[in-house]
Amino acid sequence: MPQQAPLYIVASPRPRVGKTLIARLLVEFFRDNGRALVGYDLDPREPTFAGYFPDLVATMNIADTPGQMALFDRLLAGIPRTTVIDLGYGPFEQFFDVMTEIGFVQEARRRSIEPIVLFVTDPSPGTVRAYADVRRRLETTAFVPVHNEAVSVMYEKADFPPSRGEYGVIRIPRLSAIVRGVVDRPSFSFGAYMTERPGGPTEIHSWIGTIFTEFRELELRLLMGKLGASLSDSVVGKLSATLRSGR
Amino acid sequence: MAKPTVVVVGADKGGVGKTTVARTLLDYFTAHHVPTRAFDTESPKGTLKRFHPDISDIVDVTSVPDQMRIFDTLSTTDASVTVIDVRAGLLSPTLRSLRDIGFLEAVKKGQLNFAVFHILGSSIASLNEIEDTSAFTTDAKYFLVKNYFNNTSFFEWDQPTHAAYFKRFKDAVEITIPKLNEMAYEQVELASVPFLTFVANKNAKGDAANYSFVLRGYVRHWLGNVWGEYDRIKLNDFVASAAAPAGGGPRVQVVRTAQ
Repeated sequence: MPQQAPLYIVASPRPRVGKTLIARLLVEFFRDNGRALVGYDLDPREPTFAGYFPDLVATMNIADTPGQMALFDRLLAGIPRTTVIDLGYGPFEQFFDVMTEIGFVQEARRRSIEPIVLFVTDPSPGTVRAYADVRRRLETTAFVPVHNEAVSVMYEKADFPPSRGEYGVIRIPRLSAIVRGVVDRPSFSFGAYMTERPGGPTEIHSWIGTIFTEFRELELRLLMGKLGASLSDSVVGKLSATLRSGR
Repeated sequence: MAKPTVVVVGADKGGVGKTTVARTLLDYFTAHHVPTRAFDTESPKGTLKRFHPDISDIVDVTSVPDQMRIFDTLSTTDASVTVIDVRAGLLSPTLRSLRDIGFLEAVKKGQLNFAVFHILGSSIASLNEIEDTSAFTTDAKYFLVKNYFNNTSFFEWDQPTHAAYFKRFKDAVEITIPKLNEMAYEQVELASVPFLTFVANKNAKGDAANYSFVLRGYVRHWLGNVWGEYDRIKLNDFVASAAAPAGGGPRVQVVRTAQ
């Protein structure tokens, strides 16, 4: 099986739910793993994500056709790399409209790129509807809900079913307000903080550690999910039997 | 010999996208492996000929020699469908000629299949034209095509006029051609290839091209919708009663985007 490059789309139809924070964490997680990486910030008015990684993240405006070509054609060109898109609430609808209309997912797969939607949830009915809607339109695409505890304490699992049960949900724990202020500084780097700051573990250390563990497990679950989808049940059964006996 | 089919695509004024519709028809028949030939009446330089050079000829439908070229060959040609793109303003004269040469009589007797795609203009000026043509098309499949491909605000007619207009064609079937992204349309124009070839990312010679995937996606989606309309009116069944089973010809795979 050829190496597949994941295309993470961090999305929500609502502002201020932590999309950019999650996109940043993903970029730093992959960068720490030494992965070839590229990012896109789809909010041309306020490209916060691009501001954190000027060398890695390009700002794109998909409001018109040339902008759509700049993004989608570029995503499909060249050697597939791990990609993180921070999809602002502004272009949310447009992005998924274009994506479905041009048949992006099939073409991406043909080029060994696997789109994964990380959908940042919130309890508003509009968001629940938007989730159901895009999931229906992109039936074969992996959807993993993200619960940002800083946005809402409550999380109704039934509102945001992942596209495969085992994908679960990514939980982003709440940070205290003071610490959040530190993390939001433009020069702050999660990876650097983890390695450079000696001394006992702080709240931020364990917070970053928790999230990076979530990401690591997510990648494993996605891989298993893909195996499960691409192999027949009997093969999977045999494989897991082999794994068990080998243990 | 199976029954030949003649499809006339016409409009009463220019710029309503008549040739665009003719091109989608040629692509449709290609995809269904229906051997097709086309006549372009935009002499001396035909747009249809530019996009489909292998199967198109430029003719003057009002001239007798060219009428012979088209209609005397119907039963001998390999093509089971003949598409005629009739220049603006020539629809009524063309239909009149078809009556005069006995073509409409042959249709009436069931010796030929005959379909008319009448592309409607956005203005009410075309009302008289429709009244004209209705007299000749009693035995034809008559399709009124609302073409939105290059226009968002179309058909700003008031309802009573609209109703009065369409009442004359109680057997006519309406077809809607949706809008196509302008840049995508422009790129196909520049490439001068059939829509299907553009979607397949090929140039006129059949070599791999490098068109934008986004624009190809827009064209594929649009073409899928247009063909959806042709499927709805059972166009393939209509010509299939005449068409030979799929033999040679290029096999073009068209991927429809799922809705």
